[in-house]
Amino acid sequence: MKTITNIWIILVILTIFAYLLGYLKLINSSLVAILLITTFIKGALVIDYFMGLKTVKLKYRLIPILWLGTVISLITVAYYLPI
Amino acid sequence: MSQKSTIKEKFPPGDFAIWIIIYVELITFGLLFLGYAFSRRSNIEMFNESQLLLNQTSGFINTLILITSSYFVVQAVQTISKMTKESIKESNQKASKWLLYAILCGIGFLVIKFSEFYYIFGEGITLSTNKFFMFYLLLTVFHFMHVILGSVILFNIYNKTKIAGYKPDDYRGFETGASYWHMVDLLWIVLFPLVYIIR
Repeated sequence: MKTITNIWIILVILTIFAYLLGYLKLINSSLVAILLITTFIKGALVIDYFMGLKTVKLKYRLIPILWLGTVISLITVAYYLPI
Repeated sequence: MSQKSTIKEKFPPGDFAIWIIIYVELITFGLLFLGYAFSRRSNIEMFNESQLLLNQTSGFINTLILITSSYFVVQAVQTISKMTKESIKESNQKASKWLLYAILCGIGFLVIKFSEFYYIFGEGITLSTNKFFMFYLLLTVFHFMHVILGSVILFNIYNKTKIAGYKPDDYRGFETGASYWHMVDLLWIVLFPLVYIIR
């Protein structure tokens, strides 16, 4: 129970961080990378602890983690690749 | 769902079929996310300008709501998974309380999102306004429908807990619904920074 509550607190803190970047208009190209990394962390926490895949055979955990990593990586490429 | 264990479970929680659905949904939304990200490259100024019409605060509140509702659902699943034959009624009652909180969060999300749609459509924005709003509406309306379905599923599980319908050896349906709800949360976690924040 305590672990899950800690995970929830981390998710809330990272969400507030993302919101403040937007709300205070701090977002710039270097902070986008940090924002995307925090998004990956949040997604991985949900997959591992909320969906409960941390305690399941690796292949079932890998599918959503690879999905998340691929999507976040390609969004990063789309953002940073010179036009 | 999240108990520490050295022995890995053979299958993920819930019915296996839900995981096929979840993987398919993730791929579908993933393609839409990438469609948005790569389309943005061809008209960054238009995307940035259109994004200003979105309400970041409501997107933020909705993110907190979904994360919190997922937390309540995990608490409900943990309560049910620790149930013994002696505590069936008590565990079902406790789980129903957590589920009720999660459902209320789901309704809160829908109300806020509906008000956002009301504003956007009131501005005369449609799918054909521009590429930003095409992706915005596709992603958020599609996700909105998933939240409705997820809330209905949670409500059905809630009803079953009210009659102490889950037993120590029979709560797979509970885990199935919970897994679907976490997927809805996971999708929004990517959607929020991508559509509302990044510019």
